[in-house]
Amino acid sequence: MNSSFGIKHIAQFILFVALQILLVDNLVLFGTGFCFIYVAFLLFLPIGISRMWLLILGFITGFTVDVFYDTIGIHAAASVLLAFLRPLVLNLLTPRDGYDTNDSVNIHVMGWRWFLAYALMLILLHHTAVFFLEKISLQDAWYTLAKILLSTLFTTTVMVILQLLFFSPKRERVDYR
Amino acid sequence: MRNLFAFIYRFRAFLVFLLLEVLCVYLIVRYNTYQGAAFFNSATKYVGQVLEFQSGVTDYFRLSSINNTLASENAALRKELMLYRLHAVTDSVAELDTTYYAATDSSKAYPFILYAGRVINNSVRRTNNTLTLAIGTADGIQPGMGVISPDGVVGRVKTVSEHYATVTSLLHSKMLVSAKIQKSNTFGTVKWTGGDYRTATLDYIPLHVKPAVGDTIVTSGFNTVFPEGIMIGTISNVEKEQDRSFYTIDVKLSVDFAQLSYVYVVESTKREEREELEEQAGIVDDEQ
Repeated sequence: MNSSFGIKHIAQFILFVALQILLVDNLVLFGTGFCFIYVAFLLFLPIGISRMWLLILGFITGFTVDVFYDTIGIHAAASVLLAFLRPLVLNLLTPRDGYDTNDSVNIHVMGWRWFLAYALMLILLHHTAVFFLEKISLQDAWYTLAKILLSTLFTTTVMVILQLLFFSPKRERVDYR
Repeated sequence: MRNLFAFIYRFRAFLVFLLLEVLCVYLIVRYNTYQGAAFFNSATKYVGQVLEFQSGVTDYFRLSSINNTLASENAALRKELMLYRLHAVTDSVAELDTTYYAATDSSKAYPFILYAGRVINNSVRRTNNTLTLAIGTADGIQPGMGVISPDGVVGRVKTVSEHYATVTSLLHSKMLVSAKIQKSNTFGTVKWTGGDYRTATLDYIPLHVKPAVGDTIVTSGFNTVFPEGIMIGTISNVEKEQDRSFYTIDVKLSVDFAQLSYVYVVESTKREEREELEEQAGIVDDEQ
């Protein structure tokens, strides 16, 4: 565990999971759009966090949500998958001159395009895993696909709103374009 | 050997990933089956406390509708009670000589006990929906008991802790309820297929019966989970498909699952005896 991981992230963990269980659980758009905002905790972790820690945190987060949702294993599996793929996506999206030491997952620091690409990709993967694991079969695949797409958009929108509201732009710099 | 360790070290992230995913799949297979009871679930003490706190807050916003349902249920029960009183007054048979009648006719004994429970967690829009109730073993709840509301069938108790219980809702892809059409006494199976939480399907109604839209569907009483004749819903659509020997029937559920506040857990006093007997006889039934 490196020094950048501390109270702040523990607080974020509790906040995002509580938000998921107590509030967002009841928000469903048109019966198809679900919001799994707890993944924000995993997405907002420091860029340089070790892969092992990320996997373990992914499991813990998913499992906590599972316990409240009575879906043991489903969210845990999806979150572990997300945690495994996050470093790969980060690699894919590396800015031209690599990540700075003070870079973090912040819409003001990294820019809109980077953040949206990063969030959409990982959320889409996570939601696909959740909904297909829930259903297991390919029955009603179109309905499941609709659920995945709408939920991805919903979660991403909520995540962007959270970023704009609560993440300070004080380290703002010129965007990489 | 050193090479092996070097290999493991190099791919440690991937190996941990595989390990965790295998664990997750094991958990899914082991605990998400219909009967599988998880050790970690929303009936666990601390999880239950969080959910109870949450519903304690949100219930304030629904107080008037909860009061309305309880009041209308009271009115219905009172009406029924008055009817019985009226029968007792006009019917003097009960006071006749007991020579001809056994004083305690076992066929009249109603071997079901109801426990009222508050719903503290509920979902209607997932593929597999569950409820959490704020009653548990301390109140006499056991896994496998049926759960009903004033309007009809709700589900079946899955796991129980001291003060909380999780319930497999009727809105669960693995939940089958043995039902019958009240008018013709034809037996079938009610199953929820996902999507709209107000409609389920009734299967295995043979083609020689003539089900009509509006017919009432009730529980069959073929097992000990639900008493006979508990409302499930009404037929909303009947279709005859070419290549099937059964009707495709849509049922409009009588319970509004999104509005559940208080439910009753049904205990059958003869359950153990009957299940034991049926097990000995080799009758295996996955319907509830």
